[in-house]
Amino acid sequence: MGKVVLQSAYNRSKVALQKTSRGAKIRIGLLILALILPFLPFSTDYILHIAILVLLYMILALGLNIVPGFNGLLDLGYVGFYGIGAYTSGLLTYHFGLSFWVIIPLAFINGAIWGILLGAPTLRLTGDYFAIVTFGFSELVVLFLTNEIWLTRGPLGLPGIDVVSIDLTLFGGPKWEFIGELPYYYLAIVMVLVTVFVMYRIQDSRLGRAWFAIRDDEVAAVSCGINLLVYKVIAFAISAAFGAVGGSFFARWVTFLSPDMFKFWESFLILCMIVLGGMGNIWGVMIGAVVLVSLSEVLREILPLLGMPVNVRFLAFGLIMVLMMRYRPAGMMPIAAVAAQMRAGRVKRKKVKPAVGIKK
Amino acid sequence: MKPILEIKKLCKNFGGLEALRDITFEINKSEILGLIGPNSAGKTTLFNCVAGIEKPTDGEIIFSNSARSISIGGKKPEAVTALGIARTFQNIRLFDNLTVIDNVKIGRHCRTKSTFFGAVVRNRYQRAEEKAIIESANHFLDFVGLKGRGQEIASSMPYGDQRRLEVARALATEPHLLMLDEPAAGMNPQESRDLMDLIRHIRDKGITILLIEHDMKVVMGVCERVVVINHGEWLAEGEPQDVQNDPKVIEAYLGTGAADAA
Repeated sequence: MGKVVLQSAYNRSKVALQKTSRGAKIRIGLLILALILPFLPFSTDYILHIAILVLLYMILALGLNIVPGFNGLLDLGYVGFYGIGAYTSGLLTYHFGLSFWVIIPLAFINGAIWGILLGAPTLRLTGDYFAIVTFGFSELVVLFLTNEIWLTRGPLGLPGIDVVSIDLTLFGGPKWEFIGELPYYYLAIVMVLVTVFVMYRIQDSRLGRAWFAIRDDEVAAVSCGINLLVYKVIAFAISAAFGAVGGSFFARWVTFLSPDMFKFWESFLILCMIVLGGMGNIWGVMIGAVVLVSLSEVLREILPLLGMPVNVRFLAFGLIMVLMMRYRPAGMMPIAAVAAQMRAGRVKRKKVKPAVGIKK
Repeated sequence: MKPILEIKKLCKNFGGLEALRDITFEINKSEILGLIGPNSAGKTTLFNCVAGIEKPTDGEIIFSNSARSISIGGKKPEAVTALGIARTFQNIRLFDNLTVIDNVKIGRHCRTKSTFFGAVVRNRYQRAEEKAIIESANHFLDFVGLKGRGQEIASSMPYGDQRRLEVARALATEPHLLMLDEPAAGMNPQESRDLMDLIRHIRDKGITILLIEHDMKVVMGVCERVVVINHGEWLAEGEPQDVQNDPKVIEAYLGTGAADAA
């Protein structure tokens, strides 16, 4: 009897396995690999630290991807929202001891509010002008964090932020603090999964389609009844919200913040991940994060051995970007349409959007 | 019956250039009206003024859908679309990187509601709406003759099919008035004939059609009335045959003296 049940369960799982597509199998495999990574023989605290960094940058890159990848707008100031999220979370923890689980939704709302505040007046600008404003914004955030010493302690940094903890003492349970890299690793995996889930759902919805329409042709988009400004502001707000959530995680993970962690080159690095992976492609963006973060760490080890300063790695990133633009401008994993064209052997450069908007 | 669109003394200046001057005409409900004129006569500018992409310098545009009459001069394009005016473009403007069905789904945008919250939670309302979007998108693809091609990438379709897709996307916004900007441009005779059938078919659904067209075979074959403009001014109006033989019109197209020669 038991054998029969087992046999039918085995058959059913076999059928289920045959039904899942190759792509889905790869995804499930990668997820399992990620889940058992801490227990593999070669994994050390250092490896886990890098892995968490990769996951953090996945969240940031997926968040940024909404603006250039889904909407076709260049955003050079993403790190501003990351910094705002990190400092808001850090200060709330430092002064009021707020729980991480309360902070995360607050951070999302906080980021969205800043996104709307910056986006609503500036998203009327087109192309390069908008990019310059976002760049200015991120510099402004760094200057604010450096100079408003009464609030942020300025260049001294903000140390002693509490670690994440699960506090069940209210219900007579234990209090469990996140010590070491392992709990943060799993927390980061959960956060990435939620982010990817949200991105997939948006991608296949009325909201996502409106964004893609704006990216492909603004004039045609308005004539389908899409309000450009409203949908761009929504995009910018959601993107900023994910940046702020990433920042909150960062603050509670490293427990120390200083303004120079949010310099412009961070924005550039995240943008590179998107371009390298494939703008607008969720999987591509995640792969971009894996490649660039790992490469950055490898170069950090190798460059001193070659007698070069560590910051030479930015030259290496620049070189990669130039090569990508020359040989594979759509990224490692382009969006479906570009991939189809490449398969058909009709590789054509993606149409550059004119810098002229709709005359109002 | 009240005309669906009344254009009264419409003017549009670009700096010192008068693109449109005192244009006045009407479009009756459920007719196919042709708008013709030589190059740079101001046809597309007139379209853009009606669609809300250009703001008229002076004059009035009054649109009467089934419920009420509204002055739409200077309204935003998305508001005009929501009222029930859809258009296609002279040089095809599709969402190149998206599939055919997604292009039509985007046309449903102004008739649907859910946003971020609905997208993430997929509540019952959002699921029902999404299902309705897919059904009507398929219906409109079917209507223009692109059945079963929903998964192709828009930019990889042949030219004639791209034109059809643009019409399907415009129809998906549920317009009362459909404006077609040179739909037959670049089409071979067979494709033009199919297009004319499609235009009549759309009109039979009760949708009024305003058509800019250079291909005289199409204009003569499908339009019930024709308005001619030249140098931004109203020139003539009437049935296609009468307009075709109007000396003023011949002169506008072929130059002075051509009318006598003809």
